[in-house]
Amino acid sequence: MHVMVEVVGEDTRELDVESGATYADLLAACDVSPHEASVLVDGQPVPEDGEVSAERVEVLRVVKGG
Amino acid sequence: MAPSLDPEQLDRYSRQIVLESVGPDGQDRLLDSAVLVVGVGGLGSPVIQYLAAAGIGRLGLVDGDVVERSNLQRQIIHGIDDVGRPKVDSGAEFVADLNPNVTVETDETALSAENATELIEGYDVVVDATDNFPARFLVNDACTLTGTPFVHGAVYRFEGQVTTFDGTGPCYRCLFPSAPPEDAIPDCATAGVLGVVPGTIGTIQATETIKHLLEIGESLNGRVLHYDAKTMDVESVPLKARPECPICGDQPAVDSIQAITYEGDCAIPE
Repeated sequence: MHVMVEVVGEDTRELDVESGATYADLLAACDVSPHEASVLVDGQPVPEDGEVSAERVEVLRVVKGG
Repeated sequence: MAPSLDPEQLDRYSRQIVLESVGPDGQDRLLDSAVLVVGVGGLGSPVIQYLAAAGIGRLGLVDGDVVERSNLQRQIIHGIDDVGRPKVDSGAEFVADLNPNVTVETDETALSAENATELIEGYDVVVDATDNFPARFLVNDACTLTGTPFVHGAVYRFEGQVTTFDGTGPCYRCLFPSAPPEDAIPDCATAGVLGVVPGTIGTIQATETIKHLLEIGESLNGRVLHYDAKTMDVESVPLKARPECPICGDQPAVDSIQAITYEGDCAIPE
């Protein structure tokens, strides 16, 4: 499956993932820890252990500072 | 009710009173409003500065820290003479100098599960200008459970994120259900932050607060604004509520912040 992964504020990567791959696998392919970011599909946050079903996702990193 | 602005107020606020969507009634509404700013640092400084200038009638300032020299590069309401003083005292003095129309209430304390609901009570809007996850989750949970709108902001190096959670859309836990492991996300002390970045993000937080109070424009509710100072790119990322969110979802797991431990991952108990 071909998936476009946009890491917000960084770049968009095109990944080919195998059937059964999870959103955590997408994050790993982008060198992003699941602890550090949330995956959004059409604006909907999805669980990292969910199976990838979307062709485009956005990854929003968590930011702490103030 | 007829606006009760005196001649001095009509002059002071004339540049916004002349705006059709503000007017004397809008200014009256701002003077009758109360906003709690949690965190009197990098984000809190421009928030307090612009809300005080705009004539928000009552400003609450919450922060348990004292001013340090390394704060002054971005925390623009504090000066060199304030180093070592409580940030809330320095902030209150700044507001008093700028606008005597504003009543300031200060709490020199860190937000906790014991005091959060009480501190938030009575304010129309809360501004999350905090710098740590326990405080961010406390603001989210206390505001969401009490139905208090809040404006979230966060900064990192050259970037910032800002959004409004007004209770009709997602909450912060929809986006991030729990905090990352300690030290997984660097803070400004270790990663650094360009001083103007919290200025930009805090100014947007103040803008969102004023818009909400005046019921004008479109808020950031349902989208997160991401700002990159290096590229000057601004991206609006759509964000929907998570139906299974333990705070704002269809079946909330808790009805009180007392059931949550605000340390470590700040997770909601199953």
